[in-house]
Amino acid sequence: MEQQVQSETKKTRGGRTYGIIDCDVHPSPRNTDEIRFYMSQPWKDRYHGSTRGFFGNPVHGARLDATPPGGGPTGSDPDFLREQLIDKYGHAYAILLPRAFCNLQPDPDFGTAIAAAFNDWLADTWLGKYNHDGVFKGSITVNHQDPQAAAREIERWAGHPHFVQVMTDSGARAPFGQRQYYPIYEACERHGLPFAIHPGTDGMGINVQPSPGYPTHYIEWHTCLSLGFQAHLVSFLTEGVFERFPNFKIVLTEGGVAWLPGLMWRLNAEYKALRYEVPWMKRRPSDYLRDHVRISSQPLERPDDDRELLQMLDMMDAKHILMFASDYPHWDFDSPTQTFPRLPEEMHRRIFYENARELYNL
Amino acid sequence: MGRHVIGAAADLPPGKNKIVTVEGRSVGVFNVNGSYYALKNACPHQGAPLCMGRVTGMTLPSEPGQYLYGRDGEILRCPWHGWEFDITNGKSIFDPHKCLVKTYKVAVEEESIEEESPSVETYEVKVEDAKIVVYI
Repeated sequence: MEQQVQSETKKTRGGRTYGIIDCDVHPSPRNTDEIRFYMSQPWKDRYHGSTRGFFGNPVHGARLDATPPGGGPTGSDPDFLREQLIDKYGHAYAILLPRAFCNLQPDPDFGTAIAAAFNDWLADTWLGKYNHDGVFKGSITVNHQDPQAAAREIERWAGHPHFVQVMTDSGARAPFGQRQYYPIYEACERHGLPFAIHPGTDGMGINVQPSPGYPTHYIEWHTCLSLGFQAHLVSFLTEGVFERFPNFKIVLTEGGVAWLPGLMWRLNAEYKALRYEVPWMKRRPSDYLRDHVRISSQPLERPDDDRELLQMLDMMDAKHILMFASDYPHWDFDSPTQTFPRLPEEMHRRIFYENARELYNL
Repeated sequence: MGRHVIGAAADLPPGKNKIVTVEGRSVGVFNVNGSYYALKNACPHQGAPLCMGRVTGMTLPSEPGQYLYGRDGEILRCPWHGWEFDITNGKSIFDPHKCLVKTYKVAVEEESIEEESPSVETYEVKVEDAKIVVYI
């Protein structure tokens, strides 16, 4: 509790009395052996690191100035990450989402082993020995291709003081509202852990691509990552996941923001007649958002006219469902001080701090 | 306008650049094919240290399906979001009129030899004696 009080009273830019809660920060192992250390055979010999394989950024995938001074991958040096992010912007908490890319594996046992090793690694390092002040909060990586195993992995970490959510890739073989995934949501609900979805293996390995076939270019693939998020959200709503699991919450991380009002208008319109098809959906689709859905801000769309962005934030109920994220150290990092136009003070406090504090019980 | 000697021209050969602080401002000085340019080391987008980015070329405007690579060494790419800037004028490639980084005047000047070695009677100017000067 001492740590929490200290973080909350940290003075930041603009004389604000709250620090930022950054909902998408990517720590990285220094090398593959750091992960392999936590694996048993036969996985230890089989694991050579996993990347998403293709659709690599043709320019650069991470901030060039985020490479640690002593070398190693971006996000692998806790002191440098603290200097460049936590201390620079006055972060109260960073929610860590490691990139295991376990969901693209055809072998569910291998995918589950990768997820487990990343969790052991994160708990020992960033949530353990690098975390003297408790600024780092982590995500339990699960392999959604094997929901029963994913649920067991959640059970293994439930109650850990620094794991605050469950995370998986948006890349999938079926929309996330479908019933095969329910063991995961049951475990999340039982332990009060939100379920965060992050892009990364869409169209890779055994996952389908959420566009008509494969786009040609990274610019298309990256822009259209939000299509998968929209499909997952519609699925969650129409399948009645939030009726079945009334305390279950999801976090849409790095999936885009500005599409939400239009999608909800469309779904609300459809609902008027087609409610008939999904009678368990007792509320208007958009009425579920405040209780069950949070969206992280990066990469925030920026129209030429700031007033249009502010209108969109009102339309989507950003004050209650949007949470700031930087995506450090990736190339499309959103600076905490530059990404948003000037916001009404109460909206700023909720987006940069309060919404995440409530969701994660910080 | 402040005159600031930032180093010897010989120490900044073509293709090289350096970041200096003058009058409290971080400035990147570039040698592009023998010509010198200075840009503010802050991206107009989100304030990233622009001049720490990679100096590169660019795909030139072309017909669909055609690749024309050119301007090698004249393009600076922001180390964060990868936006391209023309080093020779500070203008972004994607919107040169609205998105640009501040430029500063750079000159290559001979240092006054009297100050350095008063006893010498004549002095042959060599390239390595030239200094790069940034005016802010």
